[in-house]
Amino acid sequence: MRSLLSTAMAWFLMVIKMWVKRVKTPFFDRSGRDRTSPHYVVRSAKLCALCIVATLCCASGAFFVPNTALIPLLLINAALLGHGRYLGGRVRGLLLLFAIQLLITSMLYLLLHGVERLHEGGLAVTRIMLAIIPGWWLSIVCTPQRIGEVLSWCLPRKWAFVMAASFSLLPYMAKETREIYQMQVMRGANITAKALCYPKHWPELIYCVLYPLLIQLLKLSKQMALAAKLRGFGSHKRPTHWPD
Amino acid sequence: MCLLELKAISFGYQAAIGELFDELSLQLRQGECHLIHGSTGSGKSTLLKLLVGVLSRPFSGERVCQQPCSIGVVMQDPNVQLLRQTVGAEVAFALENSGVPSNKMIDLVAHALRQAGLYVALNTPIANLSLGQRYRLMIAAQLVSSPQILLLDEPWAQLDNQGVDELTELLFELQRRGMAIVIVEHHRGAFSQCVTHRWMLSGGKLISYQPCDEPVISVCQLPGLNRRRDLSLLAPVVVSKALTLQFNDNKLLFHSSGLNLYPGEVVALIGDNGSGKSTLLKALAGIQSDIGALDLNVLGVRPKLGRYGASLALLHQRPSRQLFESTVIEEMQFSLKRYGLPIERGIGMLTKLGLSTLANLSPHTLSYGQQHLVALASLACLQPKLLLLDDPFAGLDSRYVDVVVDLINELSQQGCAILLSNHRVQPQLAVDHYWCIAQQTLRCYRAESLAGEVALKHCDGMVSDGYQDVG
Repeated sequence: MRSLLSTAMAWFLMVIKMWVKRVKTPFFDRSGRDRTSPHYVVRSAKLCALCIVATLCCASGAFFVPNTALIPLLLINAALLGHGRYLGGRVRGLLLLFAIQLLITSMLYLLLHGVERLHEGGLAVTRIMLAIIPGWWLSIVCTPQRIGEVLSWCLPRKWAFVMAASFSLLPYMAKETREIYQMQVMRGANITAKALCYPKHWPELIYCVLYPLLIQLLKLSKQMALAAKLRGFGSHKRPTHWPD
Repeated sequence: MCLLELKAISFGYQAAIGELFDELSLQLRQGECHLIHGSTGSGKSTLLKLLVGVLSRPFSGERVCQQPCSIGVVMQDPNVQLLRQTVGAEVAFALENSGVPSNKMIDLVAHALRQAGLYVALNTPIANLSLGQRYRLMIAAQLVSSPQILLLDEPWAQLDNQGVDELTELLFELQRRGMAIVIVEHHRGAFSQCVTHRWMLSGGKLISYQPCDEPVISVCQLPGLNRRRDLSLLAPVVVSKALTLQFNDNKLLFHSSGLNLYPGEVVALIGDNGSGKSTLLKALAGIQSDIGALDLNVLGVRPKLGRYGASLALLHQRPSRQLFESTVIEEMQFSLKRYGLPIERGIGMLTKLGLSTLANLSPHTLSYGQQHLVALASLACLQPKLLLLDDPFAGLDSRYVDVVVDLINELSQQGCAILLSNHRVQPQLAVDHYWCIAQQTLRCYRAESLAGEVALKHCDGMVSDGYQDVG
């Protein structure tokens, strides 16, 4: 228990330290515009490992801690949320997810159990969000390659690379999903938010958006594998790591 | 010294279609720069795979490579080669795999980035870079491991004029150091200063050709290309009295004193990589969410996704992403059915574009150029009032460019307002106005008063006096 507390304290101090030392690296592109890159403040692999452990503890704690211990966990998650937002992370998606989950779960609880157990639905949704927020925060403070480096300590390098590449693909695929969705809405697909209120339009979302997205994903994974191979991936027994 | 040789290579994907390469031979020596030109589907990208040695299917003939020989490749779409999140880490990937100590990486990466003309901080998120900047990043990612052979797939289409000039200088320098370079390109005249060998890939063979001495024709000199029409009596489809396009975090893309786009008008939006061309097109369609409020009316209302129905269509970059139906004709008819328009327009449009033989094929089995055309045709057959085209000529050979130009002219005559973005002036295309973005300013020029070259000079920062803003 004492070691757990000391780990939590070290982690908390680390978060505070990172908050205070928020990295803002100004740079200029060719047009001379000033841009700032506040993401990825964790550069040391050891610190990244600590972040991964803390994230795993927090995320799993969301499911296992008793209700009485939820308040401290909520506070920790609130700090992570604030820190992530401060570093440029977008909380809108999280809030939207929370709202949709809360709405659907509350309706189900209302139908199945009545008003008396409605709070249990809210609690379940809160726990799910508490499991998601640490992962969201980790994706903001640590680069996928640093996470991959840490994972390669305990996994075969190829597995670690695939996992890191998968993490790094997420923003790209999210952008692709958004663009394909917009293309299909403009082409007349019945997949606007309003249209999707009717379940009869749900298959169109799969057909118009998820199917082309899957094709893109398959193409992309094949081409990324080729790109990695052409740049010597797997050719050296002891690969090194970019210091950031 | 010969670094790589292909000896009498014969290869085909499907026996029924015939052989893609027929006894093809090529020798690459130190300091040579080969430009391989060919139409869409002639096998240029397959030839690159063959040169690299990653062609997955068996072929007859011999590929002889001097050992040890390292080869760097930059494919057509840099997005599919990105493996990391930040610029420094991306370039360092090859160094990591060679076991280069971490403390030596930063200098090597910075040097490679400088060579490729990409002047950004090492921790820059790649997501912040434009397509052209990403292409430079991929070049840097190859140069960092000092390859003996560098293969480039269609760089001219991805880069703006300044980018092409910088790449030409870089290639010249690399050649001087003994690197062998192969460029696969639709544009015959590209990189003429450093090209030592020119090949036309046709009929499965590489046929040597000499650079043509065609004079460079000014847009103004082309007969009947630029037209002057009095459109002021018509109600504009796009109106903005003053436009400032900037992201929510106050990063300014450009500002403009005003924009008007009239029915039947064709406007070319020209600017360098990252100048904000795609962002403007998306803003006009109402799908660019991370920008500030705009003083902009499109078809009489504020732009918003799903507001315009069939009246507004946008062709994105890499338009093949929108294809999902089982056959080409179903793809064409999808929007027509949704908007309650006559479905006969679909086959009519395919016939017009010479694609009717593809009607019952899966769109996913088509070549890049064919997919591009099908995606464009599926939007054009809606006969929208406003058609936005984001880099519609990228990756197309001259045959397909002509088809797209004809289609644009026809839609324009039907009263469709067309705004298309491009890095540079497309000489075959008749336009009414150029909207040029340079130095964070969008200026509007009449085509007849401004030759395309002058517009480009403006875009390169060389503003000529005597031209009036008409925006």
